[in-house]
Parts: sequence; structure tokens; C-alpha cells
Amino acid sequence: MSEETVDVLIVGAGASGAAFAWSLADTRMNVLCLEQGDWMDPSRYPSAGMDWDLRAHGDFALSPNDRKRPADYPVNDAGSPIKAAMFNAVGGSTITYAAHFPRFHPSDFKARTFDGVADDWPLDWARLEPYYALNERMMGVAGLTGDPAYPPKQLPLPPVPLGRLGETVARGFNRLGWHWWPSDSAIATQPYNGRAACLNLGPCLTGCAQGAKGSTDVTYWPAAVRRGVRLRTGCRVREILVREDGLADGVIYYDADGVERRQRAEIVVLACNGIGTPRLLLNSRSKLFPDGLANRSGLVGRNLMFHPYAMVIGVFEDRLDGTQGPTGCGLMSHEFYETDRSRSFLRGYSFELMRGVGPVTMALLGGQGGWLPWGAGHHEAFGAIFDHTAGLLAICEDLPELHNRVTLDPELVDGHGIPAPRIEYRLGENSTRMLEHGAARAKQVLEAAGAKLVISEAPMRVAGWHLMGTARMGSQPDRSVVNAWGRCHDVRNLFIIDGSVFVTAGAVNPTNTIQALALHAAEMLKQNLAELFD
Amino acid sequence: MSAAFARDELGTLSSVLDELLPPRGDGRLPGAGALGLADGVDTATRASALRPAIAAALASLAARGFSAQSKPEKLARLQALAKEAPEAFQALLVQAYGAYYTHPSVVEALGLPPRPPFPKGYDVPATDFSLLDPVRRRAKLYRER
Repeated sequence: MSEETVDVLIVGAGASGAAFAWSLADTRMNVLCLEQGDWMDPSRYPSAGMDWDLRAHGDFALSPNDRKRPADYPVNDAGSPIKAAMFNAVGGSTITYAAHFPRFHPSDFKARTFDGVADDWPLDWARLEPYYALNERMMGVAGLTGDPAYPPKQLPLPPVPLGRLGETVARGFNRLGWHWWPSDSAIATQPYNGRAACLNLGPCLTGCAQGAKGSTDVTYWPAAVRRGVRLRTGCRVREILVREDGLADGVIYYDADGVERRQRAEIVVLACNGIGTPRLLLNSRSKLFPDGLANRSGLVGRNLMFHPYAMVIGVFEDRLDGTQGPTGCGLMSHEFYETDRSRSFLRGYSFELMRGVGPVTMALLGGQGGWLPWGAGHHEAFGAIFDHTAGLLAICEDLPELHNRVTLDPELVDGHGIPAPRIEYRLGENSTRMLEHGAARAKQVLEAAGAKLVISEAPMRVAGWHLMGTARMGSQPDRSVVNAWGRCHDVRNLFIIDGSVFVTAGAVNPTNTIQALALHAAEMLKQNLAELFD
Repeated sequence: MSAAFARDELGTLSSVLDELLPPRGDGRLPGAGALGLADGVDTATRASALRPAIAAALASLAARGFSAQSKPEKLARLQALAKEAPEAFQALLVQAYGAYYTHPSVVEALGLPPRPPFPKGYDVPATDFSLLDPVRRRAKLYRER
């Protein structure tokens, strides 16, 4: 048993935990982070081997249920058409994310005010803007100024090249007169803060061997560790301990050798993502909190939001060099982002360009989709599509619904015997209509760009990258779990800083917003430290 | 971990691979069996929970002399196998694709350099963003109040 009491204990070393730890480092407080995964070795990422494409379906598969790494925990997602796709390591899911890095729109923080749905956030875009800017400098974000879809912003690096594939699709948008813009990408397009420049390797979703992608193991963590933050890997937290006065006292965890340990702390911070955080809270039951820690509102685990994806792939006559360049970063479109009441849904979606896939992935996709035979005819069919495809992903805003939730599975457990999370989720009518609209509009774009055939999947199955809403923020303790800076209403020395705190989902990849919120929470904690326990 | 396939099992597997991924008609792509991928598929499936089912499927094919059968007979047998043991068949197909489409000679024949992406990477030309001129002329698309 550890007898040391740290000032701040962070659980999870992913996007938000890293940013929060880095921000607190300048306080000289005793900050410790426990991470269930380990440091990744970039030299062993798939892109350094001939089997790079195959490993995307093995030890780098999107779903932890398929991947089954020692750091992973199982997720019972049988009750959801969208499967969870998080990664566990120092860097968390930023190890395997596309690094598509846009901000939310100002209207995303006021869905109730603008559109009469969901709720407004307890903070607004202007409040968060300085933290977006700080985060973009720390993560090294590439992009182009002047996007009419956003208030003015400056990014530190020039945009990723579109390549033949991206330019082809861009011309399709232009033919329709629709908005598009080079992606805001957490990718070092030039050497940046010790990171080498992007080599256009392609498979960003299996880790960046070059270190150009802004995963937090190469951005925030080195800086935080240099400044004194301690990071302990291979440590899986089982539950949060509570004192008799209702304050968090620390955690029980299993170390890298599987030994049960206790870590005491003055402040506990959860950064375990929108599934891992409610799982941990619900597994932390006590006399004071019989329904799970910080759950007097009953909202822990509820309002789970994904971004339902429509994946639409166009097949073109010419080759597109699709495996060259960051796979998920090229261009984005916000033509259908804001609410238009003439449509059959409220809120909106964005498009993200998807470059081509490798030959193994193409063969598997074709087999699963039923449009690629084995045997005679295989090569002709394969030759007609491989490197002839460009994709658009419609990233749809999900609305918070109480019945979409994370609970503890009564039977399934992880390698340490801790109950696994179970997801109960069904697509709402608004999301369903939005997906249909997005798939149809993507088809229009790809056809305008010259596609001779268009294939779509909606909702995309293993696309639960964005996990939001399961411990949402708000000013009223009966209608939210945390306040505007992540402090739990029920436990004033317990903070939540990951995507769980989102009130609404926006219609873009959430990492920039998650980290901006984490930086804001850290700043507020620092400002309020003297009165934190009063 | 299962034991490696015996020589005759590998022979059957090689014949199966050549039916799943036969040589391309114009000779630009070899068949999967002729590439000697049976050993790789054997290795890749040894830890699979479906290995016993795959082994049973191969044994069933071998018992009927699969390797010596005519092409129409082989096709009929594999189509039957896909229905009778869909999970084993699918696992075999996935491994066949994996071994085939990572083989340097196949990768090169597809028009890609026969090397991993890292460390050389790829040159992607800089984009001429005058493509954005029509978008730059648009009014703002976001709502603030």
C-alpha cells in the first residue's frame, strides 16, 4: 500500500489528461497520472513494416474487442449499432486518431437557444477560444486562415497537401458551389517543437512512426514530465475511494504486476473518456454514493453521444494516389453544419475527406460489402477499385438522449476482474434523418467530382471514436454531473475533464474541444485552489 | 497455439489459396498458392479460435482429393464450404487476403512501391489553393447570436 498522498491524481493519460497535467505542472504541485496502457514505441508501429495494412485489422484494430491488447478492456457493445473504438496507452486514442482537429462552432454551445433542442453549455465559445488557441499551439495544428465556416483564427502550421485525390473531391464541391476547406489537422507539416515533418505515410490510424502526428505522447507528455509530472503506466484504476466527509480520497488500482494498490490524493481527476469515466464512477459505490460516485443526479452514464458516421465511397476512372497523405486529413466541408429548418432534421453535420485505403483493407471491405468476389473475377474487380476510391465521411451531430447510456455489465469483466462497460444505444430519429441526408449529399459531391459508382454505409459500424455526454456539465446539480470547469457537483475535489462532460456533440471531431476544456478546467482549478475545499 | 499443418495439409491449403486468389489472366499477378503463402496463412491462423474449424475444413477437402479436382469441382467444393462453415471460410479468406496483399511482388504489381510506408514516405505535391477562390468569396457560414 502506498502511503504517499499526492496533490493531484489524474486517471488516464490520453488527450485530456495530458493537457491537464501539463497545465498544472507550473504550479509545482505533486501531480501523478495513472495510465492503464504503456508508452508506445513508434518504431514498432505498423507503417514500418510490409504488413502495415494487415495490422490495422489485428493488434491495431479499431475496436478494443477485436484488438485485445493487454491494456484494453472489453466493451459490451452488442446493444449498439455503433461500436466503441478507443485506444489505451500513453496518448490514449490520440495514438490512433486521424488528427482531424477542428474547433466547434460558436452555435454548438447554444443548441437550446438557437434551435430549441438539447441544452446550452454553461460556457460559451468566447470563453473557450483562448484555450483552443493554446491547445492548437501545443498540439501543432496545420490549417489555412480565412475559412468562412469559423470566426477568424490563426494556426501555427500550413495545411496538409490535398494530393490528387483531395483536389478531385474539392473540384466536386466547387462544381456544386458548396463549402470546403483544407482540414485543421494536428499534423506537423513542417518540423515543429522537436517533431519531424509529415512524410505522407498514409496510415495515421495505426500510429505515426514519424512522430509528425500530434498524439499527446509526443506533445504534452514530454513537456509535462520534464516539468515534474509523474506518469505511472500499466496501472488500471478499479474505483475511487471516498472519505466519510464525502470528499474523494484517492483510488484503488492494479499496478503493472497486477498487485492491488491504493493511491491517496487531495484532488482526483478523471480523464478516461466517455465510456471509461462513467464505468469508473459507477464502479465506485459506497454508503454515501450507493448509485455510483458523483451520481446523485442519476446522469452518470446517461446521454451517451457518438457521432454517427455515414461513410460514402466514390469509385473513379483514374488512379488517385489515395494511400499517400494523412488518411483522415485533407479537407472538410461545413456546408450542412448549421441548422436549416427546411431540412428534415435540426443541427447538422460536417464532411471529412477519407483518402484511399491499403490493398488488404480494400479486399476486406469489398468482401464484407459483397462487391468483391473471391476466385475468378477477383482481380478484375479489385483492379477497378483499388486506388480508384475517394471517401467522404458525414459526421453527424447526435443529440443527448437519456436512454443512450453506459452501465456496468453484470457478467463481462476485464483482465483484473473489474466489471466491463455495457453500451445501450439506439439512433434517434434526428440522427437517422441526418445520416440519410449526409449520405445523399456526399454521393452528390462524389458524382460531381467524377465518381462512376458510389457505395455507402450508414451508420458506419466500428466508428465509436467520439464518446461524449455521460457526465455532462451544467450549472444545476440535478441536471448535470459537473460544473463548467469539470468539478463534480457532488464531490468538490473530484474533476472530470474528458468527453463525458460534453452537453452536446457538435458535428466535428471533438479532441480539440476536449483538450481546450481540459486546459480551461486546469486554469480554473489553479485560480480557485485557495477556496477549493471551503 | 495449434501445431503447424502437416505437409499434405499445406498442400491442400495451397490449392485452396490458388482458387481463392488465382493468377490474373494477363499474368501480372500470381496466384496465392504459387506465391508460397500457405506457410504464412498456417502461421497466422495458429492462434485463432477458428483454427480447429479451419483444420477440419481442410481435412474435409483433402479427403475428397481437392488438389487433384478440376477447377469447376474445386469451385463447387469451396462454395459449399462457404455455406457449411462460413466462419472458418471467412477466417481463411481474411488471412489469404492479408498474406497476398502484403507480399512485395503483389504490392509492386498493384503500382505501389514494394516497401513499407516508413521511413521513406511519399512525395505529395503542394496544393494550389486558388482552388478555394469560390469558397473565399462566400459569406460567413456560422452563427454567433
